Amino acid sequence: MSLLRGITGGLRSLFRKERVGRELDEELNSFLEMAAEEKVRQGMSRKDALRAVRLERGNLEVTKEVVRSAGWESFVETLWQDLRHGQRILRKSPGFAVVAVLTLALGIGATSAIFSVVNAVLLRPLAMEDPSHVVFVQETWRDIFPGVAVGNFVDLKRQSTSFAELCASNDASFNLEARELPERVDGEIATANYFTTFGVQPIAGRVFTADEDKPGQPHVVVISERLWRAKLHSDPSIVGQPIRINGLPTTVLGVMPRSFDPLLSSSDLWVPAAFSAGQLADHDNHYLNVMARLKPGTSQAQAQSELNVIAQWLQKQYPIDDQDRGFRLQPLATALLGDQRLGLRMMLAAVGFLLLIACANIANLQLARSRTRQKEIAMRAAVGASPNRIVRQLLAENVVLGLAGGVVGVLLAYWAVAWIIAHGPAEMPRLDQSRIDASTLAFAWAVALLSSLLFGLAPALRSASTHLSEVFKSSSGISGGSRDRVRSLLVVGEVSLALILMAGAGLLIRSALLVSHLDPGFDTSNVVVGRVGLPDPGYHDPALARQTFERMITATSALPGVKSVAVVSRAPLAGGGSSNGLLAEGKPFDMANLVNSQLQIISPSYLSTARVPLKAGRDFTPQDARDRTLVTIVNETLARTMWPGENPIGKRFACCEAGPKGRVDPVWHEVVGVVADVRAWGLDRQVQPEFYIPLAQMPASAWDWIGRTMDLVVRTRSGAVPIHELQNTVASVAAVPIYRLSTMQQKISSTLERSHFDTFLLAIFASTALLLSSVGIYGVLSYMVAQRTRDIGIRMALGASQAQIVWDVLGFGLRLAGIGLAVGLAAALAATRLLSSLLYGVRPTDAVTFAAVSFILLVVALIASYLPARRATRVDPLVALRYE
Amino acid sequence: MADKPSDLVQGTLDMLILKTLALEPMHGYGIAVRLEQMSKGVFRLNAGSLFVAFQRLQRDGLIRSEWKATENSRRAKYYALTEQGRKRLNSETREWGRQVAAIARILEAS
Repeated sequence: MSLLRGITGGLRSLFRKERVGRELDEELNSFLEMAAEEKVRQGMSRKDALRAVRLERGNLEVTKEVVRSAGWESFVETLWQDLRHGQRILRKSPGFAVVAVLTLALGIGATSAIFSVVNAVLLRPLAMEDPSHVVFVQETWRDIFPGVAVGNFVDLKRQSTSFAELCASNDASFNLEARELPERVDGEIATANYFTTFGVQPIAGRVFTADEDKPGQPHVVVISERLWRAKLHSDPSIVGQPIRINGLPTTVLGVMPRSFDPLLSSSDLWVPAAFSAGQLADHDNHYLNVMARLKPGTSQAQAQSELNVIAQWLQKQYPIDDQDRGFRLQPLATALLGDQRLGLRMMLAAVGFLLLIACANIANLQLARSRTRQKEIAMRAAVGASPNRIVRQLLAENVVLGLAGGVVGVLLAYWAVAWIIAHGPAEMPRLDQSRIDASTLAFAWAVALLSSLLFGLAPALRSASTHLSEVFKSSSGISGGSRDRVRSLLVVGEVSLALILMAGAGLLIRSALLVSHLDPGFDTSNVVVGRVGLPDPGYHDPALARQTFERMITATSALPGVKSVAVVSRAPLAGGGSSNGLLAEGKPFDMANLVNSQLQIISPSYLSTARVPLKAGRDFTPQDARDRTLVTIVNETLARTMWPGENPIGKRFACCEAGPKGRVDPVWHEVVGVVADVRAWGLDRQVQPEFYIPLAQMPASAWDWIGRTMDLVVRTRSGAVPIHELQNTVASVAAVPIYRLSTMQQKISSTLERSHFDTFLLAIFASTALLLSSVGIYGVLSYMVAQRTRDIGIRMALGASQAQIVWDVLGFGLRLAGIGLAVGLAAALAATRLLSSLLYGVRPTDAVTFAAVSFILLVVALIASYLPARRATRVDPLVALRYE
Repeated sequence: MADKPSDLVQGTLDMLILKTLALEPMHGYGIAVRLEQMSKGVFRLNAGSLFVAFQRLQRDGLIRSEWKATENSRRAKYYALTEQGRKRLNSETREWGRQVAAIARILEAS
């Protein structure tokens, strides 16, 4: 109540200033009159009485001021005055104001833009009910974290008590026939409680029930709002209608809202997992995404310890499949976004440094100005401004700068965010949701105010504490002789921050250069790759599936401009792949003896089409059929891992399928060739052991592992890519789409997109930082030369050579840079260690990089120091001495 | 300026004004004179601190004001205690008594 009255009272005096002032006048006057009357009654003359009252009660004008300034509104009023005054002062030195506002805008803009990305990608909660209770479950095996086997999921669900819901899904893609050409749509197979786990309701219709999530039920699907709008013409009566998915009519049950993307995988449709009895008992294939909602009051640690107990039980129960297996529980947000943290934090730190450098520069400029403004300020103090008020006034001037910088900075940030969304790595989830929203604006506002205090406080305090007598005593143009320590410190700080950024950027650039010179292991020029998936219902028969792909190869080979065509289960850089434990012949069957290796199923023409160099033995031929000796080709890494120092040709290993006598009955494959390592997971990734088996010899069940989906690899004669012909040819052989169609070189650059983006941004930040700190060095030296004009003149008059003068100034600049360099190097050595996971082939303490950035920094510092130094030599001793 | 309000114990001016107004509504000068009379000249009040106190008390809702004619038919702003002000006066008087007693005990003990 009284707070409200305080505010309204204050507002009243702010906005009805005159009336309130009049009232106060009147009240004080009547006070004066009454007091005087009293004195007159006691016998004084009226004039004496008035003077006596003033003496006793204080000057009424002063009283008015005191009363007025006691309310909070007077603070607002003087603040407003100060801000207007600051703005007037700044308008008088437009050069300084423009430089300062732009410098600041750069810092605030970069910081706000990166903040809005961090906010969108990392900070915003996932779009689901109470996301903090949703966890992601993975298996742990040796040092990898595979998905969960269906059998293990079933046991987990049966035995655990920590979870309100426990659901599973697997990424899948589907052929959708809704428009002229069949299209490929990404989606998931999911258990019925998938939607309730995330607590999200459909915007139309319903989700599937537990009964519908069983084999043999009619085909149903839940679709995304995006799919509904983009591909189904926003059909209002879609619920209950059939659409054709994988060649089968499938009833649409419901539509999920646009925001529903719990795994950030942009899924467009969900079909029931409907695990078969065989799948439910399978503990060998580890691929499910498992998500759970913790029961209220159950902590993640409690759930984890329960999972540990269940894992031990599973190890005993299924000693072959679940040996050494455990479970790992993570908050869902960590599991989905954990990879993004390091890079984004690095960016945030980088722009933070940039902002600090910008602030240091403006503080430096302000300090220089405060010297020249000493007299003005002293004058104000002399006519009665309190130090408090002077500090406030100077701070207000900086706040005006800060706010102007903030406004321009936000404009910059708008542009920068649009640029980042357009050019940022596609793989970064939620990046497209970055925008300058209320929280970014609040952030920018806070940063602007904070930085104006940061760069304004030191100069303001310095000015306010100057003693009047000193200012008026000292004549113009002579410095106290002491080099300005605060300004030097600021420059040293700037240089060291810049060096840290440069070291980080330098390491990333060197790493990117090394990666770009790596040999991918095959000829990437003139190769086009696209995926083709055959639907299970129409192509269940393995022979039919194989023949369809073979016909596709033949038909595509006939296209003009095509040199050769092949299929492979996973083309290099396509991501994914299946891992198999291989047992070399002669070793006892034991988990410890298995070599984990990637399987590639290829048509005989693949190695020659991709031009993977054959290092020993022979390539596959069409004669390698299922009824002949089972053969395989291994990469050099596998050969080295399995048979170190031996010739692998003719050796055998067991893999991929079980013989007639059960799971431990080996089926042997004979090594007929060794090929070069292909960097199949990205140029900057470790090469894995890899082996190839011919399409004609693959086990029937392998069609299920690869989802009847293969990459069609087309080598063309020239760069021209027959995209449309390719689509038509594939559709004419089997009515399915070819998708993720791109050249091999595009695929390579897309895997490097993220690291190039990081490198590019950091390089920009580092060069801006270098520029700003060189401006800082230049500023301090120019100022020093200007202040010491008379000293220099005297020295020259006494016979100092130009070289000595130049060296004096240069030496000081280089000393500042040198100290900054040393501090920066020490800090950078500690900081770059955090980058190690982003680097390839470069150690975070790489001497070459550190030497190079130090050299660049010193050269730039030299240039920045040379300009003022040259100006020093132009000092005319006569003019300098006459300066007084 | 030996009679600066800081000579008053911090915060007591408000209480004294409230006490003065407890009898009847009064204008600023009247309050000043009454305070001086009652304190037998110990307190001489500066107009500045007095009017700042009026503004503060009014914003806190402890007193209210009204323009009225004085007995000499001059216009003056009269201040009066609100219900809230009366309560505050009571509680502050009690608290003051407690503190004075406590301080007196301490001073006598040493």
